[in-house]
Amino acid sequence: MSGFSFNRVKAVLWKDLLELRKNKGMIWSLLALPTVIVLVPLGIVRTYVRNPSDPNFRAIALYYDFTVDTDSAARFLVDKVLADWFVLYLMMPVFVPILISSHAVAGEKEKRTLEPLLSSPVTPLELVIGKSLASLIPSVSVCLLAFVCLCIGVDLVAWPLAHSFILPNAMWTFGVLIIAPLFAFFGNGVAVLISARVGDSRLAQQLSGLFVLPLVGLAAGQFGGVLKAGPEYYALIGGIVLVLDIGILFSARRLFDRERLMSRWG
Amino acid sequence: MSIAVEGLEKRFGDRVAVTGLTFEVKPGEVFGLLGPNGAGKTTTVRMLTGLLSPSSGRGTVCGIELGPASDGTALRKKVGLLTEQPGLYERLTARENLTFFMRLHEVDEASTWKRTRGYLERFGLEGREDEPVGGFSKGMRQKLAIVRTLVHDPEVIFLDEPTSGLDPQSARTVRDAVAELAAEGRTLVLCSHNLAEVERLCTRVAVVKSHLRTVAALTELRREGLALEVTVEGEASLLLPALATLPFAPTAHHEGNKLKVMLADEAHAPDVVAALVKGGARIHSVARAARPLEEAYLELVREEDET
Repeated sequence: MSGFSFNRVKAVLWKDLLELRKNKGMIWSLLALPTVIVLVPLGIVRTYVRNPSDPNFRAIALYYDFTVDTDSAARFLVDKVLADWFVLYLMMPVFVPILISSHAVAGEKEKRTLEPLLSSPVTPLELVIGKSLASLIPSVSVCLLAFVCLCIGVDLVAWPLAHSFILPNAMWTFGVLIIAPLFAFFGNGVAVLISARVGDSRLAQQLSGLFVLPLVGLAAGQFGGVLKAGPEYYALIGGIVLVLDIGILFSARRLFDRERLMSRWG
Repeated sequence: MSIAVEGLEKRFGDRVAVTGLTFEVKPGEVFGLLGPNGAGKTTTVRMLTGLLSPSSGRGTVCGIELGPASDGTALRKKVGLLTEQPGLYERLTARENLTFFMRLHEVDEASTWKRTRGYLERFGLEGREDEPVGGFSKGMRQKLAIVRTLVHDPEVIFLDEPTSGLDPQSARTVRDAVAELAAEGRTLVLCSHNLAEVERLCTRVAVVKSHLRTVAALTELRREGLALEVTVEGEASLLLPALATLPFAPTAHHEGNKLKVMLADEAHAPDVVAALVKGGARIHSVARAARPLEEAYLELVREEDET
């Protein structure tokens, strides 16, 4: 029996990245969310830094933590918004691979390229790995780039208040390097699984996009003061996503089957 | 044998897509697969290229067993499939499309490009390699898809409706290309609705409509029944009721004063002439005519409907 070929995985990766690079509309879509994720917290931090002695900030800080030193309310709120914002940052590693993978997998069916592709020696496993890498590499790169921009922006904007570098801190570094890739794997896996079952890339994107909603719920809980974000809290979320990732991996192998794909979509 | 199948069947749940496929294709043969829409031709090709696993029956293609335990990757390295839709990546250039498939087949790119350039030249695509495929005409896309089918130098090539949806000029170019591949001594399996195309290119055909209706050489298929061309005085269509009185009820086509009567048996010829005379025909001439493939094909498909 012919075995697994890394060359074929590389071929799929090369083709998908080339197609992505030539799809200007997709690139602009990919950059929209990171732009918002970086600019919004900068705006909030700037508000706290501009007038740190604003009595309203003290009231807000006391709402979240009645033990807070009211003289450093603005700094407390800057730290709090950055800790809370990480859950929204996590939307990016979920959403960006969803955009890419839905297009890459369901798009093969839409463009009628699936049959010629499956009639080549590439195996379903090689196809899944190649397409997943073509989604994960740009997604993780975009997330890292956004994080670098956020760090530079926050440190520049908050310098008059903090007089030190606020970002990167331990929580964000751990989150960006460990939790974000787990989320990216999750987003990609969900999109691949849904794309294997539906025939339309937009429907695949919309259905996969629903998986971002739990993060929005968590963010609402944090901003409402119900949930307290911190390293342990994000480590717990990361652990849950790791378990989900393992489940997705097993499901993807079962669902992404040449015969199943051909009889449904060929 | 390049292809040898016996009792091959494919089911999707309770629905039988195609059954009872038993035929052989010799190396270097151009074999036609005929059948109406939904007859199971594409399913047959997909089984023979390892895209679908047969539900029952057995077979080999290029010496590789078909079935769930078969080495699909090895099989797909030996066969080439031109799908009904070209299925090219429109944002990529012709060169990038071909390179992608060269890499999937893990062939040496430098030597493959030398061979591929010859095909591009032959199909009038030279100098267009670095243009995005999205800007190509339908004919150019189909020709590029044929070149893609050849990048790994397959032993057997399956062509599923290669001229479907093409304008006459592009269809002719593609037909010429297929004829050239046949002249190279490659084994070709051609699925087509275009019987003139099949007549021109194929030596033997299989007629499929959910199950295998027949496998025969084209010459045999045409000879299986006799066609009688009768020239009469006046309008030939007026004589059709006279033919309907015959117990073997032959099918007949008319055009002006000419009547073409299809017979299953040569012994029926005198009965036909007698019935026409009895029906008032003034016959100018009676001649034997070769039965067109279309007639043989339609008869086979009709028989299937009746049974």
